[in-house]
Amino acid sequence: MRWKNPELLLAGAVLALGVFVIVGTADVTAAASTLGLGPRFFPIIVGSAMIATGVFYVVDVLRGGQGDPEESEDVDPSATSDKKSVALISVIFLAFAVSVDLLGWIIAGALLFFGVSWVLGAENRLRAGALAIVLAVASYLAFVKGLGVTLPGGPLEGLI
Amino acid sequence: MDSFQLLLDGFATAFTPVNLLYALVGVTLGTLVGVLPGIGPAMTVALLLPITFNVPPASAFIMFAGIYYGGMYGGSTTSILLNTPGESSSMITALEGNKMARRGRAAQALATAAIGSFVAGTIATALLVVAAPLVVDFAISFGPEDYFALAILAFTAVSSVLSRSVVRGLASLGIGLVIGLIGIDQQTGQARLTLGIPQLLDGVDVVVVAVGLFALGEVLYVASRLRHGHPEVIPVGRAFMGRSDWARSWRPWLRGTALGFPFGALPGGGAEIPTFLSYSVEKRLAKGREFGEGAIEGVAGPEAANNASAAGTLVPLLTLGLPTSATAAILLAAFQQYGLQPGPQLFDHNPALVWGMIASLFVGNAMLLVLNLPLAPLWARVLHIPRPYLYAGILLFAALGVYALNASWVDLVVLYVLGLIGFAMRRFGLPLAPAVIGLILGPMAEIQLRRALAIGAGDATVLVTSPIAAVLLILSALILGVPLARRLLARRRQVDATA
Repeated sequence: MRWKNPELLLAGAVLALGVFVIVGTADVTAAASTLGLGPRFFPIIVGSAMIATGVFYVVDVLRGGQGDPEESEDVDPSATSDKKSVALISVIFLAFAVSVDLLGWIIAGALLFFGVSWVLGAENRLRAGALAIVLAVASYLAFVKGLGVTLPGGPLEGLI
Repeated sequence: MDSFQLLLDGFATAFTPVNLLYALVGVTLGTLVGVLPGIGPAMTVALLLPITFNVPPASAFIMFAGIYYGGMYGGSTTSILLNTPGESSSMITALEGNKMARRGRAAQALATAAIGSFVAGTIATALLVVAAPLVVDFAISFGPEDYFALAILAFTAVSSVLSRSVVRGLASLGIGLVIGLIGIDQQTGQARLTLGIPQLLDGVDVVVVAVGLFALGEVLYVASRLRHGHPEVIPVGRAFMGRSDWARSWRPWLRGTALGFPFGALPGGGAEIPTFLSYSVEKRLAKGREFGEGAIEGVAGPEAANNASAAGTLVPLLTLGLPTSATAAILLAAFQQYGLQPGPQLFDHNPALVWGMIASLFVGNAMLLVLNLPLAPLWARVLHIPRPYLYAGILLFAALGVYALNASWVDLVVLYVLGLIGFAMRRFGLPLAPAVIGLILGPMAEIQLRRALAIGAGDATVLVTSPIAAVLLILSALILGVPLARRLLARRRQVDATA
């Protein structure tokens, strides 16, 4: 049986997304404008099309259809999926997202770079750490002083 | 005023010292980021979008033109010098280019790629100058139903042409369309699909989607199956080529240009098909001689086709506001960030900007030639960057660009969710281009559809009574129908054979 195929999850998600679009816009009651169509018209078309696509997709996967995983220079097509690395990077990135306002760009950014390069197998911790600090400081200076973009300073506010 | 005069004015804009500097920064950054493995032209443009936030529009587009062409040049260096297969648009170059490099002819491969890109880019940009005003004249009479049909054609073409499986292309398109629906409906002010999250009322910023699908998705995907060990880069000196290489290259350059430009301008055309066609044409003309062992024709033709298609893509993008590739869709998003809508009106209202950008394409192309021939060893060194640092750096800059939009951490969480979607799409072979085009063209299609039906006072036949719209819709139906019919026929034949 192919019920355990992870691609089936994706196909099911496409189908579910179609349902979600139709159900999720049910509360959008058009202040029925006199001119033409309300705000639900297009979502219903998109949702219906996605449900149809999702059904075909599920059927295709159940019948053994497979997509071709994308090729890229640094991807080893024969490798088995390394779920641990993906999970670790996810945790690091989300931790970065919720802490960047508190820690400031430089500290949070340096930790993000260091953490991800470590998960991906950087051999030299010291060099990774130094690079992380240099990149975080340089990007802060370039964007804040050079391009006039606002980034949070955090505890280092005023120091740089 | 005729377009030649306008182009001269454009050169006047492009040749101001400030804009020359922006062009130089654009081509340099574009090449640098384009050389990085794992980063295709679409991701290059998406990652570099944020640096133009505070730049005036004319200069920003000159910079973008440079980034766009630079990313193309950079990609060929990667595919020639790196011993691993890359993304689809540069895969063809790698076939012969990599073999040439391994036989000690890396300098010649890089030279024919760079000079061929220059020749093709220059000719194709000149064709753009000729073609754009013609299309504008034609499109000025387009009604909303025509624009809607055009969007449908783009949707169907990009979903069925770029992917082996139509259903996967359509699934990707749907994901993009749904993301495009999120936020307040522009015509009635109603919130749609926001899940009650106030930050989603304005919709999901295109930069967040593009960076999420491309950059974050790529990092997660690479993390899941990283090729370990030191990257194998073929050493190279200054790029140059001898007399016999020139003699063998110039015809493929011209043939590649002739293939690349029209395909780039067609919906769903992109760079993949013309590069592949150019490769097979050159292979046939060479009668197998040296092909498979590193024939220079196999680099010259596809590289020219690649760059010519990049210029061809700009024809529908600038004149109709119609993106035909993922990269073009992101460029369109860049226009929208400045409140500009490409189309016939853009040529009318902002001639200085459009023609300044077109002129700077010529300038950028010349800069790229100078930048790429002598500096090849420098770009080759970029390929040695240890992968952990490379992907950590991509993630850092992705986060930077997205955070800089609204200084909101919610955007970063949305970015992560989109990254997961991009990861799943790569893993299971859903093409990314339909999603990006659906996201950017979807809202436009909705507006035009509602406008057309409002004009028709609810009569749905307005959508097909315009001859242009009717033709475009029939084409769309054919594009979707033909692969399906072919599959059904094949199945019936199979059944007959076994019966």
